[in-house]
Amino acid sequence: MSLDTFDKPILNRKVHIKYLLRFLDKIPAEFISCDTTRITIAYFVISSLDVLNSLDAIDEEKKQSIIKWIYSLQVTDDEELVSGFQGSSTINTSYNKNLNSLYKWSHLAGTYCGLCCLVILGDDLKNVNRKAIVNSLKILQLPNGCFTGAKDGTENDMRFLFMAANVCYLLNDWSAIDISRAVDFIQKSISYDYGIAQGPELESHGGSTYCAVATLALCQKLDILNNSQLNGLRRWLLNRQFTGFQGRPNKPIDTCYSFWVGAALKILDAFHLSNYEHNRSFVLATQNNIIGGFSKWVNTHCDPLHTYLGLAGLSLMREKGLNEVVPMLNITYRALNHLKHIHEQWT
Amino acid sequence: MCDSSSDDENSWVFYKDRPDWKDVTPVPQDDGEAGIAAIRYTDKFKDVYDYFRAVLTNKEKSERALHLTKDAAELNPANYTVWQYRRDILKELNKDLYEELEYSRRIIDEHPKNYQVWHHRRVLVEWLKDPCKELHLTELILNQDAKNYHAWQHRQWAIKTFNLFEGELNYVDQLLQDDIRNNSAWNQRYFVINNTTGFTSDVLKSEIEYTLEKIKIAKENESAWNFLRGLLLHDKDGLSKNEIVTRYCEELYAYGSRSPFLLALLVDMCDEQVGQGSGDTRYTLERALELCNSLATQYDKIRAKYWQYMADKIKNKAEGKPEPTPSSSFDS
Repeated sequence: MSLDTFDKPILNRKVHIKYLLRFLDKIPAEFISCDTTRITIAYFVISSLDVLNSLDAIDEEKKQSIIKWIYSLQVTDDEELVSGFQGSSTINTSYNKNLNSLYKWSHLAGTYCGLCCLVILGDDLKNVNRKAIVNSLKILQLPNGCFTGAKDGTENDMRFLFMAANVCYLLNDWSAIDISRAVDFIQKSISYDYGIAQGPELESHGGSTYCAVATLALCQKLDILNNSQLNGLRRWLLNRQFTGFQGRPNKPIDTCYSFWVGAALKILDAFHLSNYEHNRSFVLATQNNIIGGFSKWVNTHCDPLHTYLGLAGLSLMREKGLNEVVPMLNITYRALNHLKHIHEQWT
Repeated sequence: MCDSSSDDENSWVFYKDRPDWKDVTPVPQDDGEAGIAAIRYTDKFKDVYDYFRAVLTNKEKSERALHLTKDAAELNPANYTVWQYRRDILKELNKDLYEELEYSRRIIDEHPKNYQVWHHRRVLVEWLKDPCKELHLTELILNQDAKNYHAWQHRQWAIKTFNLFEGELNYVDQLLQDDIRNNSAWNQRYFVINNTTGFTSDVLKSEIEYTLEKIKIAKENESAWNFLRGLLLHDKDGLSKNEIVTRYCEELYAYGSRSPFLLALLVDMCDEQVGQGSGDTRYTLERALELCNSLATQYDKIRAKYWQYMADKIKNKAEGKPEPTPSSSFDS
């Protein structure tokens, strides 16, 4: 790298597009722990390309095959309330093809990422069984207001509440959520330092704070935060910045928090109070200029999650050539426009 | 490790070559016409999961199926269906759950940041209704990484569910002696007090003294300052009227400390009193503006815009203008 590019970091679009496209085809074996969440990888890749304004790097035929693959992960079960999208096809076989079977259940992360992918790719959601999904979503809400990831066998925390709210927004149907219980869960998860944790009494965290704030925005319940909470939360979020952002006090900064913390600040109307120049320099320093992609720290391994969140974080600062991400939805404004068009067809 | 499934690749026998699995036909994965984001599975992975799918299809709940789930889980501990099925087999075969608890300790030790293995652990403890190993387990994990969120979450759950608060404050204290900046430990301190003594005036006083001592050691430690502010939430007089705290802060300032967290607290004390018009000459609009200015230009430059905004906000307040509320619109 020449000194000149070091002084003025630039976004290396071309290598990122190449890096991302590779993940749509084959993923190296070292990513084996993502085997049940391949749809999430697809979402990171597709939404990244959308942010890069380069969705046309995927040809039409490929787009159709992605859409088909995503629909192949849709589960519609009228007897057992497990409808939605699976995160992957790991347990799918010729025996249970197009059939319901034990453990072939949707997972909230699959439903959320699957729907996002479909919207970003321009699908009309006509083949989404909205009614079945909403009915299944109802049973995932726990008495304390939070959501669990699947019918059985998964944990529960703020991430799932956010995904549930996002699915409701995407499907334009809020009947699956008891909003007052959800809001109560969020209130109880606000820590003494005004950051928000994964659940009541846990340590506040940039990721869970994003999930909570975005959920409140999606439910139009930001007004439940009183002035002390709102000001304290803004302060807590802004204090996460060193050059890039950290997720918790006294932890190292990491590319992904440029989105999680940045987006939470944007929703709370305070992102403009952060320092863009330092944030931008840090995020760009974590890009790999040879193979493409972004990593959590400078000079470490890149992955699709940090690549997407790095790009999304840059988009919040209106980086030239990037489509901006809607902070509470985590898809671009371009994709949101398409979604609004779909919603109009439904009414 | 003595486990056969952890042997190196050379001694690994594929399931398709195992005599005791001859009666089972492996079931391949159906990834649709065009698998997207397909992982390059190793032959071993494919083999194990072909048999896992076969077992799932046949609903086989046996010793060998239980062993198979172990291999499947070790190849991908994030596969929640594998763990779910493993639990279903454990139940069906009425297995010794303490043995499973020991196995889960080893897996957590290898994958301390994996959600599914911690969830497995929690279900086992719920089944056994016996939390006696949980504090020790989480301590082992926190020895490697004292801020591991999963370990803290599990520890809090066990403590709260089974009332294991005794001794926890000592543990927290020890962690804070190891690392005064461990925010997770500070949070745990709050958790313990909140669930035991509560913040009575005596507790409040001794906790404030404890925290001020810690601040003295590291004046730029955000965790301790945040904890102090958390304590003051329980002072009905607010942020700016606790004599111990104000005296301490003023002394720190007088001795030349310009920790941004000290200055920020002084700003907030001014902010509070400007609103109340209480006439304390230490906490005035003028001082707030001066502090905000020194934060913005000298001591907390990265948040310069924020401190300018704070200065404007406090000025507006002094002039009786209302605080703006955020909009939740989707406009970019």
